[in-house]
Amino acid sequence: MPRQAFRQLVSLLSTQTKQNRSILAGIDTEYGFTVEGRDVKSQADDSIAFVRSSPDEGFLSWDYRTENPRQDMRGFQVERLAYDPVDAEFDAGRARPPAAEERSDRVLSNGARFYNDHGHPEYATPECWTLADLISHEQHGDQILTQAAQTYAKQIEREVKVYKNNTDFHGSSWGTHENYLVPRSIEFAKLARAIMPILIARQVVSAAGKVGSEARGPVKFQISQRADFFVEPMNVETLFRRPIFNTRDEPHAESREWRRLHVISGDSNMHPGCTARKVGLIKLALLLVQQDHIPEWDIPDPVESFQLVSRDAIGEGRVNLEGRNWTTPRNILESYCDAADQADIADPEIHQIIAETRQLLHDRHSNPDAFWPQVDWAAKIWLLNQFAESGEGWDQATMQALDMQYHLLDPQEGLYYGLQDYLSLPSINPGNKPPEGSRASIRALILQKFRDQIETLSWSTIRFKSGQQIYLDPSKWYELEPDNVESIEDLIQLLKL
Amino acid sequence: MIKADRQQAPRPADPERKLGDEGGPSKPDIGRPSAPNELLKRMKNVDPDQAKKYRQRSGE
Repeated sequence: MPRQAFRQLVSLLSTQTKQNRSILAGIDTEYGFTVEGRDVKSQADDSIAFVRSSPDEGFLSWDYRTENPRQDMRGFQVERLAYDPVDAEFDAGRARPPAAEERSDRVLSNGARFYNDHGHPEYATPECWTLADLISHEQHGDQILTQAAQTYAKQIEREVKVYKNNTDFHGSSWGTHENYLVPRSIEFAKLARAIMPILIARQVVSAAGKVGSEARGPVKFQISQRADFFVEPMNVETLFRRPIFNTRDEPHAESREWRRLHVISGDSNMHPGCTARKVGLIKLALLLVQQDHIPEWDIPDPVESFQLVSRDAIGEGRVNLEGRNWTTPRNILESYCDAADQADIADPEIHQIIAETRQLLHDRHSNPDAFWPQVDWAAKIWLLNQFAESGEGWDQATMQALDMQYHLLDPQEGLYYGLQDYLSLPSINPGNKPPEGSRASIRALILQKFRDQIETLSWSTIRFKSGQQIYLDPSKWYELEPDNVESIEDLIQLLKL
Repeated sequence: MIKADRQQAPRPADPERKLGDEGGPSKPDIGRPSAPNELLKRMKNVDPDQAKKYRQRSGE
């Protein structure tokens, strides 16, 4: 039963402990939005004002010195990142504010980050050890965006709507990125080989669905919002010439020890179970590669295969292999689940994700009533078909309008929320407290106790006006009670223990 | 390492589905209990042209 399965997941996800945590992860989501009476030309300025309407003002001095998005995991640095020439025309003649003002970067009280990125308000969750914390903080992002939209709407006396999607149906896309802490000791080629197959295959159990196509010929409906926008198997780009496997080498931690796997090929999910699943499956692949239990799949053209899978909402999908062989995303996902039987995986959330994935793969065709309420793309198409069969027929423009409405962050009008009510899906409590055990909890503690003494903040480092600085090791489990910390010196000493 | 060769299948002889085929779900293979009126009403209230007007900056 779908509702029971989801409740079981939520229940299990909340029983994590320090001992069985596996991989630190976070999600950053760029949101689409509209402002009544305004158009895309003013979106960048609207996005700045939107972020400044945050219900949590946060702390505004982000430190960019440790960031370098041009560094490639393959050991080189590109001179500049590619940009979309069509999109760049919107900035022609526009008076842009200084970079810091344009970003309007702020760290929120839960350790998250909220900022303007290329004309989209973006919420980056705090780093989380557990899937339970991650989906809770991801939901908190939706709440922050909704509240900021309400404030901004009042301020300008226009309607503001927020869409948690990744495409405008006219060729523009924006991202939902996942971030995973990975030891540098896993060599790049091995990491890429482990992750690429599951990026292609996980679409069938986690993608958000899209009416129509923005590249590569027409299609009525496809599984992924983002598939049309990938043109290379791997590279360092994110704005243009997007890859399936992003090679950005920006660990936000000690670079000799850590990588950050930066996944850009996933969709924004409305269903928190899909969010947990898409992240849980990558965590599974990372645990397997660390133990040399990764299934071997030779996929000569990952872009073609990603798009073939996306464009087969009816069948099993197809992934072309070397030697004129082919397989299905189901076979790939099951091979990772099978490999887990031979690995040592302590994290109970991963076992739950494996069990749920196996069940969904079985149910997709043999018990579809148990499948569609669990997966965004299938739930969306169920809704669209209900509409078509109510006498309205299938009109592509109307279906795209309904597709948009599925992602609207409005409980009264958004279609996902209507479905949630209909199915009585349990809602997730948004995480306004720092996630348990992660370094974000220390970032939040410092904001709470020593706000006036902070010079700058970043994911890894806090610099104080006194000249002192703290490096937050991402691999540690932190347990500090704010009441036990009276000074920065106390904190520095306690963090050494 | 695990060899994932157990599930590989030869390419079928019949024509492959190409990118760009009208591979859409005119009759998707999913269950179809009826949606309640409340949900249909919510869908029928949507501006059918809203996606036509929806233009966004290209992000990451």
